[in-house]
Amino acid sequence: MNHMSDTATTQPAAARSQPPLLEVRGLRTRFELPEGVVHAVDGVDLTVYPGQTLCVVGESGCGKSVTARSILQLVDPPGRITAGTVNFHVGPDHPLLTARHPSRRDQAAVRSARDGVLDLAALDPKGTAIRAIRGKEIAMIFQEPMVSLSPVHTIGHQIVEHIRTHEDVSKKEARDRAIEALRQVGIPQPERRVDSYTFHLSGGMRQRAMIALALACRPKLLIADEPTTALDVTTQAQILDLLQELREQYGMAMLFITHDLGVVAEIADAVAVMYLGLVVEECGVDELFHDPRHPYTKALLESVPVVGPRAKRRLATITGMVPHPYDRPTGCPFHTRCRDTMPGTCDTTVPPVLTTTEGRRRTVRCLLYESAEALHRGTVREEVSR
Amino acid sequence: MSEQAVDTEPLLAVRNLSMRFTVGRGFLGIAGRMTVDAVTGVDLDVREGETLGLVGESGCGKTTLGRCILRAYRPTAGELRYRRDDGTVVDLAQLNRAQLRPYRRQIRTVFQDPNSSLNPRMTLLQIVGEPLLANDLARGDELRDRVAEALRMVGLRPEYMHRYPHAFSGGERQRIGIARALITNPRLVIADEAVSALDVSIRSQILNLLEDLQEQLGLTYIFVSHDLAVIQHLCDRVAVMYLGRIVEQAPTEELFSRPRHPYTEALLSALPLPDPRLRSLKKRIPLRGEVPDPANQPAGCTFHPRCPYTRERCDTDEPALLPVTDTGHVPHLSRCHYADTLELEGVAARTLEPTSLRNAEKTSGAEEVR
Repeated sequence: MNHMSDTATTQPAAARSQPPLLEVRGLRTRFELPEGVVHAVDGVDLTVYPGQTLCVVGESGCGKSVTARSILQLVDPPGRITAGTVNFHVGPDHPLLTARHPSRRDQAAVRSARDGVLDLAALDPKGTAIRAIRGKEIAMIFQEPMVSLSPVHTIGHQIVEHIRTHEDVSKKEARDRAIEALRQVGIPQPERRVDSYTFHLSGGMRQRAMIALALACRPKLLIADEPTTALDVTTQAQILDLLQELREQYGMAMLFITHDLGVVAEIADAVAVMYLGLVVEECGVDELFHDPRHPYTKALLESVPVVGPRAKRRLATITGMVPHPYDRPTGCPFHTRCRDTMPGTCDTTVPPVLTTTEGRRRTVRCLLYESAEALHRGTVREEVSR
Repeated sequence: MSEQAVDTEPLLAVRNLSMRFTVGRGFLGIAGRMTVDAVTGVDLDVREGETLGLVGESGCGKTTLGRCILRAYRPTAGELRYRRDDGTVVDLAQLNRAQLRPYRRQIRTVFQDPNSSLNPRMTLLQIVGEPLLANDLARGDELRDRVAEALRMVGLRPEYMHRYPHAFSGGERQRIGIARALITNPRLVIADEAVSALDVSIRSQILNLLEDLQEQLGLTYIFVSHDLAVIQHLCDRVAVMYLGRIVEQAPTEELFSRPRHPYTEALLSALPLPDPRLRSLKKRIPLRGEVPDPANQPAGCTFHPRCPYTRERCDTDEPALLPVTDTGHVPHLSRCHYADTLELEGVAARTLEPTSLRNAEKTSGAEEVR
């Protein structure tokens, strides 16, 4: 496991000099339902650097999955992306930028691309451009492989189809690559497994097949939406190790969605904490666990039972529950459950993003900090500290 | 809690309990029948007032064992010796439906999924009050009073008793499930993955509630879970299950700090630790392969095909669940031939070692040790 720690310390330094691979700014996705409008994603900012793992954590209903789906324009109606940019670095020479796209929206988006950075949110959700991105440049794996893999096609068939969608190769070649992909994710006897159906495989093997499928075209970014939640701990450990290994081998970046802080501690380089459609804190993994700034992050860390000497202490709880999506609180979404809430301030103003770049970059949305400098020092407003 | 209970007779003594299911093979069972041994020869003592954890991966038989104790299943072999209020002992495994009735209100359960375990067409009053009606314990105003009291006990407002489950969030629904379990004043509560479906912030509320209720009412819990962190937080003793057998059983501290079965060690090493600085120190014990099919179990020690320490003897002789010798007074059982000689690593060793922590601190450069 030593190689892991090396990359954890060297990578961020290398990554900072490079331009971000994916930059999400002010992303808003809402669902217009007969009962009311749900603002599932309400101004999310995320940054993923090449080769880095960004973990997105939050409770259910906080908009983690919708954010991930919005990046790839996979939100089904009545969901709609209403604002924001999803800037993805495809590279200046990418064939996508010179290819002919039938959709006007695609043409406009490609024309306005600068330095090989394309705004995915501006693309036509059904156009040729986003389809060239999906699976090829950005791949996605899901929580339940049984649902996302086809039960009536063999594993090999699905991988071959995926490869041939994006690359001009013969069936024979694609099949060889499928076998190779299965071997790389540690499926024993890939020559035989390539012809088996998903129901022949156990949960862990299915998730491996899903990963093989996602990585068959060597994406630059892998979005993993709770890939280990349905698995046992020992299988989860195997899958996490596998993802780390493949990530290093291919130099790909990962956007990893989870609700398990243990998994975050294990694999993340940077972490974004989400609450009710907003990223409330984004920082390096060490800073998050040992020096959290946002009250929600602090409360979340204290409420998790931890294996180890402090296991028996009484758990701190966050009072109340996540508000109903139709009934979002005004101002800071967390003020109804926050220990340090300031009446008159927190319930009226949506906290702006504060960014400190001293040391490692950190962004926080909390009114307790008056300025970026106060955030860096960790000093809160006087009326609260008293 | 556990100290005072040690010398008294256990509340429930499970002896040599086995549960075998017969299932059809192939399409519509045309390929004949086969048997699955879900639980094999389990011995377990549950003492009054303690929390016993049952932990293992999916398919290891922990839920089946819980259901046998509830007598939702009739075990194929073995005894369930339950000590009644007056001190006499009865074997629940031999009783029929009618004879079981008085025990149904003494042994209760909390289910995993609060959404599917509550009838959407019944109000809270009906859901929580049903056990009282079914056992003829209360009716009318008294029923209403007792439901109100049970709701108050689990932190719900009694005014809500005429509402339906859909009006409540996941955490609140789990509280309703707990209220339903507790309304008959049970002695033993079996919580089967009771917090697994809940979010982090809600989970801590429910765990604290379960602890408070145990203290107030003197309850005994059997807590079935796959989550080792929750088990360590809540339980006094833990039994680890693998392929229908208990492979290790010990007090929580002992089990986590000094496991005596290779499977326990592998489980503990697979746990993600919520501290990024421990990443480099962590030694993971890789488990080969997967859990074997319970219908086709390996000979000898059932864990030997995956065990990193396996020797010749393991694939022929099946080890028994025996006390480990050098633990002093702590009763520690392990189902391994080499439990006394293997040097296995627990969790505390990884998190507590001061030198390794200091080194980790240097490399990460953080100033505060949590």
